[in-house]
Parts: sequence; C-alpha cells; structure tokens
Amino acid sequence: MRLGYELVKEQLFFRKELRERLLWFINLRWIVAGLASIGVVFAWALGQQIAFAPIIIVIGVVYLYNIFFFFVWRRLELIKPQQTGHFNFFAHAQISLDLLALYSIIYFTGGILSPILIFVIFHVILAGILLSLISAVLYGVTCILAVGFLDLMQKVSFLPVQPILFHDFLHPHSIDFPSPLVTYIVFSAAMLITVFLVSSVKLSLKEKGRELLYVSKELEDRNSKLTGLYEMVKHMCMSTELQGLMDSATRNAAHIMGVKACSIKLLDDRRKRLRFSSTYGLSEDYLAKGAIDIEKSPINRRIIRGSIYSIGEIGEKDYFQYPEDIRKEGISSMVCLPLRVERSVLGVFCVYSDISHHFNEEDIRFFSLMADLTALTIENLKSEVNKAWFLQKAAHQLRSPLNAIFSMLELLSKNYLGAMSEDQTRTVKRCEKRIQILNKIVNDLLSIGMRRMDQKNIHLKPVDILKVIEPITGFYKAQAKDAGLKIIFEIDDSIPKINATERMVDDLITNLISNAIKYTLSGGSISVVLAKDENGLIRFEVSDSGIGIPEKEMSNLFSEFFRATNAKETAEEGTGLGLVIVKEIVEGLSGSVSVESREGKGTSITCIMPGAQIGLNQDINP
Amino acid sequence: MSQTKDILVIEDDRDLVNSISIILESKNYDVRVAYNGSEGFEKIEEKIPDLILLDIMMATDTDGFDLAYKLKNSAQFQDIPIVIMTSFLKKVAEDGPDKFQHILGENWPATHFFEKPVDPESLLSTVETIFNDQKSS
Repeated sequence: MRLGYELVKEQLFFRKELRERLLWFINLRWIVAGLASIGVVFAWALGQQIAFAPIIIVIGVVYLYNIFFFFVWRRLELIKPQQTGHFNFFAHAQISLDLLALYSIIYFTGGILSPILIFVIFHVILAGILLSLISAVLYGVTCILAVGFLDLMQKVSFLPVQPILFHDFLHPHSIDFPSPLVTYIVFSAAMLITVFLVSSVKLSLKEKGRELLYVSKELEDRNSKLTGLYEMVKHMCMSTELQGLMDSATRNAAHIMGVKACSIKLLDDRRKRLRFSSTYGLSEDYLAKGAIDIEKSPINRRIIRGSIYSIGEIGEKDYFQYPEDIRKEGISSMVCLPLRVERSVLGVFCVYSDISHHFNEEDIRFFSLMADLTALTIENLKSEVNKAWFLQKAAHQLRSPLNAIFSMLELLSKNYLGAMSEDQTRTVKRCEKRIQILNKIVNDLLSIGMRRMDQKNIHLKPVDILKVIEPITGFYKAQAKDAGLKIIFEIDDSIPKINATERMVDDLITNLISNAIKYTLSGGSISVVLAKDENGLIRFEVSDSGIGIPEKEMSNLFSEFFRATNAKETAEEGTGLGLVIVKEIVEGLSGSVSVESREGKGTSITCIMPGAQIGLNQDINP
Repeated sequence: MSQTKDILVIEDDRDLVNSISIILESKNYDVRVAYNGSEGFEKIEEKIPDLILLDIMMATDTDGFDLAYKLKNSAQFQDIPIVIMTSFLKKVAEDGPDKFQHILGENWPATHFFEKPVDPESLLSTVETIFNDQKSS
C-alpha cells in the first residue's frame, strides 16, 4: 500500500519537472521566434510572393506574449502553495497560443501545402511531454481537424487561397501536385503516430521517475536508520551498567524503527521466565502482568529457540494469551526477535507499532541487526560483571578458611580452651600474625584485581575527602601512639570534593598512613597533609622520618610484590601491593604520585589530584 | 543480666560454628546451631531464639539474606534480632554487584553487621548490648 505522503512527494517531483519545462518552453520560444524572423528575411530576399505583413505581425505577437508568459512564470513561482493546476493551465495557454500563431503562419504561407505545416507536430510532442496523455491525444486530433478545416474553408472560398511558400523550389514542375488530400492523410498519420510514440515514451519515463523516487526514498530511509543505529551502538558501548544500556537500546530502537514502543525481556538464571528488563512506550498496566512463564507462552518459546516472530494484525491469529491487553495498549503489529550471541539466547527484543502491517521484510532484517548488536553489548557488559563477581567470590572462598583458623587461634590465645604455656601462647600469636598477613594479601589482590578489571564499571561521584579522613584520624593517632610515633594531621577544611568512590579515597589514605607507621621506628614522626595547591588541585602528602628507600631500589617501588630490603627487615606484614594500589587509584582519579626518599632519613609521598569541579580530563602538571 | 538467653548460630563453616559456640557458652548462653538457611528456619520454628547470628553465603550466595528477609516479613519472627556475619568486607559489598547492594539499603534486615574473623570480645559485647537494649525498651 502506498501512503498519502508518498503520493504527495511524487506529485511534488513531477510538478518540479513541469515547472522547469515551462521555463525551457519560454526560452525555446525566443529561439523559434528569432529563427522565424530570420526565415521571413530569407524568404523576402529570395523574392517569395507571400503575405509578409500578417506573418511579421504574428511573429511580433509571439514575442509580446512570450514576454507576458515570462512574467506569468515568475509570478507562478512566487505563489505559495504552488498548485499543479496553475502550471497545467499555463502550459495549455502557451501551447494553444503557439498553435494559433503557427496556424496563422501556415495559412499565410499556403495552407495545407505550406512547408511549415510539419512544425505542428512539435507542439503535440511538447503537449505530450508537459501535459497528460489525454491532452496530447486531444491536441493531436484538434490539429488534424484544424488543418482539414482550414483547407475546407479555402476550398469553399470562405478564406482566400494564399501563395505557397517556396512553392517554386519545392514543386517546380507542377502547380497541383502533391494533392492536398495525400498531404492531409500523411500529415494525419504522422500526427497520430507521434502522439502514440510520445505517449508511450512519456508513460515509461514517468514510471522510471516513480521508481527513481522510490529508490531515493528507500536510500534516504536506510541512511537515516543506519545513522541512528550507529548512534545507538556508540551510546550503548559507553554504558557502564546494564540497565542504562538496555534503556538506551529500547528508546533508540523505537525511534529508529519509528514505532510507539519497544521492550527487552531477559531470561532469568533458570531460563524459565522472561522478565521485562527495559521498556519504552508501554504503560504500567501492560507491564503489571510481570514475568512471562515460557512454558505458558508458545510465542516466546519459539523466539527463544531462535525464530523471528512478526505479526501484521493483532487478533488475526489467536496466539496471544491476552489479546485484549495488547489491543488496549494500542498495539496493532509487532516484531519480536531473540537477543542472542552465537548460540546462546539472552532474551527477547520486541518492537510494537500502532499501525497494522507496519513492518516489511527490510524492517525485520534491520531490526534483526539491531538485536544482534544489542545482545552483543549486553553480553559484553554482563561478562564484565560476572568476572567481578567471580573475583569477589574467589576472595571470599580464600578468606573463609583463614577466618575459621583465626577464630580457633583466638580461642586458644584468649584461653577459652584453658591456659597455655608461654611458648604455646607465643606460637599461637605468630600463627595469628601470619594469618593476618595472608588475609591482607587476599584483600589487596582483590582490590587490585577488581580495579584493573572493572575500570569502566566504577562510577565516580563527588566524594568529600574530609568525611573519609576525619573518622579514621583517631584510629591512626592511637596506632601511632602505640608505636611510639608522633603523627600530625594538617587538613584544609576548604578542600574541594573529588570525583572518586569512597572506597578509593579510603584505600588511598589508609595505605599511605599505615605504610608510614609501619616503616618509621619508635620516636619518629609522621605528617599527613591534605591541602589545595596553588592550581586548585588536591594535594595529599604523607611524610615520615622512617627508614626510607634505598636509592637503587627506588625504580621498583611501584612493582607488584616489591618490598625494599630494609622494609623486609623492619616489618614483616607488608604485602608489596600497597603502593601499587595507591598508584592505580591516583591514576584512576586522573592524578599523579611522586616519591621523595632518602635511606635512613624518611620518605615523602605526594599525590596530586583534580577536584570534582575541575573535571577529569584536565591535564595535571604537579 | 539473664544468662539463659537462647542464641541460634546459622553458619556453614563448622569450625567457625564451633569457635562461636565456645565463646558464647563461656558466658552461659544457650547455643543452638544450624548449617544452612532452611535448617535455621526449622530451628526457629521449633523454638524462637532470643538472637540469631547469621552467615550470608551458605547453600547459595544469598542464603543468609533470604532467610533474614523471610523472617522480617513474618509477623511471628520479625522481632528476633539478627547479627549478620560475613567474610565479605563491607567496603567490597559497597562497590560489589547488585546482589549485595541491599546490605546498605534502608531496610536491610539485620540489627548488626560483623566482618569475619569475629573477635571474641566484640562478639560478646555486641550480644550483650542487644540484650540490654531489649531489656530497657
């Protein structure tokens, strides 16, 4: 079925053609009138005995009305809205006047035997090109009758016979030959054949024009769909969480397909139910039915097995569990496809239209491409989440036995199972210590693993560093005091927020401060500075008067599991991962870390990071 | 303080169950144990405990939570205080997948949250605090 707007578009296309042809017609008339004028001079020079005066007057009239036509054409161009009727009338007026002028000249150059008679045919061709088929036929028949009528008027002496132009050149030996009847028959036949030829060519051209128009529309549609698809995929690839990704897919798919609604239903873990995971354009009432039991839904069962489901008119087949609800929702036709990556089906992707038979084969093919891309991005994101979950669970499995052992050791060391000897207590305490170190390694590995794998899933938001650091200062002051150290916190209250997660900030602060405490000998001092530098950047600096780092080992400082030789001697509980974690966090916050250290004198580690209002992309030059 | 309080420990690690029982029994609490969520629920139906110590990951990843929500949604059992114990660091749970987001939600079903390993002193003091609060309210 062709839609109304397509017909309108087609009419516009052909009207444009008519408009352009009308101007061409006017321009052509200047040339023809010019050539006619030259012809008159030529005939006069050759001493032809014809009525020059009326012919010159007719040519003059042609010039005049052509000027008039030119202005009419310009005026028609300005009238809005443009109507095909105006242009048609204008074309008729031009052709009729031209024929009138031509017939006058034919009369004054010898009537039916005039050599100019043949030019009538050109006007019929023009009528055929510019106007409808019927017009061409009517002009053809009228011209044939007009020539006959002219000759008849001369035969009955109603009109005086005029001398024939170039008669002496054309027929030097005969006055009566060729006979006007033969001329008339030949002229009529030529005219009818011309009308037929012009009409068939015109019809075929019009059909071709229509096809061209259809193809160009098709191309235009497909181009806009592909552009939409590109935007959709780009947007989905940037999504960091599943819901946002699916919402973007349903919204874009509905827009690109030009339909009222779209949905994604994902299979649950047991693959028994389909849950509406994202919808666009569907009402709460429609969604209230909740999850779909696949056992009870033959349509969805088929889709999940890989079939495409398309229905052009809801109600024509009674496959739906709730056809009434679908009609109430205003859905008339729909297409549902499996969301699959290779052989595994994740769910069902549907588009719903309020127009019956909205989707053609091309639409379904395109939607299928969209479904494949959507499935791929969903799967990609899901596997990221699964990896993170695996890592956390692996860490949990490692930690569970450690916790059980630790609890049992606590029972021993705290004498719940009876008093122990001094040696026994010391041994149990050592066990506890080693378990704690192992636990710390597991935690650090988890922290690094999660961050490295999960970069794009980490949602940074403005975090108030003061709220993270203030609650833990007391803890570290107590710890420093126990170790015989002096610790000073210099915290600027006007520090801006930072784009991070609380956990990142917490890990950063605790790793640096506990390192400083660990590697500073009793009697030493530690200073923790949180301030805004002259560029408005956040500076977090932890300095100590500790054991420092040997110069030749400085380059390995940020390598995994690296521990400086003097560090190993001083404290056993290091994992060699703390500074790796610090560096990765700071770089994740678009900042930088610098270390200054002298063996035996102390270490100062400075982190420079942009505040939340500066933005993450700004270059930082610490 | 009443020393005949009945505490139900639901935890799948038998060594840990054993340690916790020893710690609690040292303060003369009655300790019952269960090794997964459904067994725990049976024990609760048998006799309503005064307190539940609950692990999260047992038979399934969310076995403990499932039980806790089930209890909180039941008129009969919703007042039993629950202390959740887990080897998941709380800060890991904050960043973790959706399954654990409800730890931080407004309505999470536990009275207290314990990170393992459970320190005997803090376990005992938490338990005492809960019972004292009950007495005073």
